[in-house]
Amino acid sequence: MNQNSLLQTYQEQPDVWDEMFNAGDIRPPYKNFVSAIANLPAEEMTHKDEMAKKLFMSQGITFTVYSSGEGIEKIFPFDIIPRIITADEWFLIEAGLTQRLKALNIFLKDIYHKQYVLNDGIIPARLIYSCPNFLREMMNVDVPFDIYTHVSGVDLIKDGNGKFFVLEDNLRTPSGVSYMLENRSITYRIFPDLLPKNNVRSVKEYPDLLYKNLLALGNRQISNPTVILLSPGMYNSAYFEHTTLARLMGIELVEGRDLIVDNNHVYMKTTKGLKQVDVIYRRVDDEFIDPLVFRPDSILGVPGIYWAYRKGNVAIVNAMGNGVADDKAIYTYVPDMIRYYLNEEPILQNVPTYQLADGDSKKYVFENMDKMVIKRTNESGGYGMLMGNSATEEEMATFRDAIDAEPRNFIAQPIISLSSTPCYINGTLQPRRVDLRPFALYGPDGINIVPGGLTRVALKEGSMIVNSSQGGGSKDTWILMK
Amino acid sequence: MLSRVADTIYWLGRYMERTNGMLQVILTQYISSQDEASDFMWKPLLKIYGELSDDEIEEVSTSADALEYMILNRGNSASAYNNIMFSRENARGIQDHISKEVWQCLNDYYHFIRDENLSKNIAASDPVSTIDLLIKNGLLFNGTVDNTMTRGEGFTYINLGKYLERAIHSADITRIKMLELYNKQHDSYEAPNLRYLLYSLFGFEVYLKTYKGKFTAKNVLDLILYNTDFPHSILYSMERLYKYFCRLREESLPENYERLEFLIGKTMNNIKYSVVNEADTKSLDAFLFQTRLDLFEISAAFSKHYFGKT
Repeated sequence: MNQNSLLQTYQEQPDVWDEMFNAGDIRPPYKNFVSAIANLPAEEMTHKDEMAKKLFMSQGITFTVYSSGEGIEKIFPFDIIPRIITADEWFLIEAGLTQRLKALNIFLKDIYHKQYVLNDGIIPARLIYSCPNFLREMMNVDVPFDIYTHVSGVDLIKDGNGKFFVLEDNLRTPSGVSYMLENRSITYRIFPDLLPKNNVRSVKEYPDLLYKNLLALGNRQISNPTVILLSPGMYNSAYFEHTTLARLMGIELVEGRDLIVDNNHVYMKTTKGLKQVDVIYRRVDDEFIDPLVFRPDSILGVPGIYWAYRKGNVAIVNAMGNGVADDKAIYTYVPDMIRYYLNEEPILQNVPTYQLADGDSKKYVFENMDKMVIKRTNESGGYGMLMGNSATEEEMATFRDAIDAEPRNFIAQPIISLSSTPCYINGTLQPRRVDLRPFALYGPDGINIVPGGLTRVALKEGSMIVNSSQGGGSKDTWILMK
Repeated sequence: MLSRVADTIYWLGRYMERTNGMLQVILTQYISSQDEASDFMWKPLLKIYGELSDDEIEEVSTSADALEYMILNRGNSASAYNNIMFSRENARGIQDHISKEVWQCLNDYYHFIRDENLSKNIAASDPVSTIDLLIKNGLLFNGTVDNTMTRGEGFTYINLGKYLERAIHSADITRIKMLELYNKQHDSYEAPNLRYLLYSLFGFEVYLKTYKGKFTAKNVLDLILYNTDFPHSILYSMERLYKYFCRLREESLPENYERLEFLIGKTMNNIKYSVVNEADTKSLDAFLFQTRLDLFEISAAFSKHYFGKT
């Protein structure tokens, strides 16, 4: 047992799976790490914590919050204690996500073409047609290699028994991967030698893999297709990520106003005239991407790009219309999709989910509202949620009325007690809840899941909401070699 | 290079050069205002480096107020503060085209000019050392650009912006000051005040080395207009502009390149082969004004032919 006060004062919470501790003992994968920090004086840990913050600030790894016309630089909070995942756990995650993404891609192809899944009654048609992210414009569009989700981030959580569940699929423009890369580069600096000693797998091939996949999508018979990253611009909160990825891949970072469509081909405006673009890794949402087809007031997109895409003259990553597959109401049917399309049992389970459009489920949820988390199907970022265990009667009543009015827009899940992990806060180790977002790349050669991910932490004491917009932070995530 | 990126880098160069130029002018004006008994002298500068109406300018009554307005006022879009803010915003938008060091240098300058102590120092204690520090930050920026950026298009555009802005600035300040300094009663220039013009354009030391303390309007004009060893002379700026522009040949559409080459060459030669008579203030004014118009035409041509603006 450890004599270090930093470790001794740590309070495990009952009925919560702690990633590092188990009834006072340190779990085996963390032993190496703990022995390295156990003898550090308290000032040294605080120094490391401050150094990490300074490194983020001086390297400009920040996002800007604009208030009263002035920009204030903020860093995405980073906790210095890494989250460790064993090789066996990773093996399961990798297999589970690969299976899931395969099924989701076939689903997207199916739903935008023949719709066997509806005809066979696996998913109710009304659920698809009432989904605001189902794009009729994508019907019968053939996308290169039948890949829709080139880049995806699937949110995983662990329950009180340490079992992984899928909480959410992010198949549109998932963000956070730059923090996976930057968190790692900060860890090198603050814990010298620890990464190699712990046999931690590297994450740095992510940009190379992504670039290789993007390059493979070029449709022109040329040796060097033009690949670009389309960003909404510097006022977007993920702008740092866009610049980082563009820099690491060595591709041009463009905005909608830099592009123009002529005769169904996309060009970028350069000092040497127009240059044709072959592949666009876009970080602009579907509804903003083409004002002629989607939101007419969008100035972030490119007029005419949809038709260039439809004609196959430009590849867009991720495909448009993926929102139908990561809709929270469709999520319930992903295990059925896996059985239907792949004839396999799902490796990773969903969190049990109640469709509130279903009368019996709704009744059950209303009776057990204090044990439920209720989510709007079309919102994300931790908004539009009701945590039953901390909601007031009034808040519950408001949600009941809203559910009665539009049951399709809500789902309910039993509150899963997210696993906790120690965070270094105010000079002590304190338990905070975490999730995990690994990033998967789907290219013509198959699915690659870079061994790492973004561990998001709910930094508010007792909170289970890990979203950065709601006071969440992140940790470096170590995947150990076998 | 993307037109928008080229435009942004070019303006980054212009804003930074403009800031340093204006700070030096303001510093010189401040020093001269402390040096001799004279009326409140800030009005012409408040007009160039601000957006106040004539009536509002009348209300500015102290040096401290004038300095605060031109250097730190956030509501004044021409203030040094806003120039630095715009520069940094520009740099943020094209971070992948400048070096990390340039970005961090600018980021530091931005945090420095936002420091609350700065306004106290300018208002109450020692404006000279504070403005000096600001100017040093600008010089550090130039050095960082020079030492860390690859000699690609980005480097070319930042320098095009810098030298075009410098030529405009030198022409403007000379035009304004020469008229101010001309004493109609004696039909000559006030020699002591010519020093301040030289100070304003970082040219005092070069002048002394070149002309050994003989202050004549003719020599001052020769230095500012034609001396190609003096980095703030108009001709030096034009030669640099031309040199950097030539690097764009391979990266340009031929017709655009020819158009700009013609304009830059014409302006440069108009200056090089001009004959100015310092005593003929009217034609001196007309010449400097025409130079300004030519420089603006170059700027507009860059916008049109290289930055895709119509």
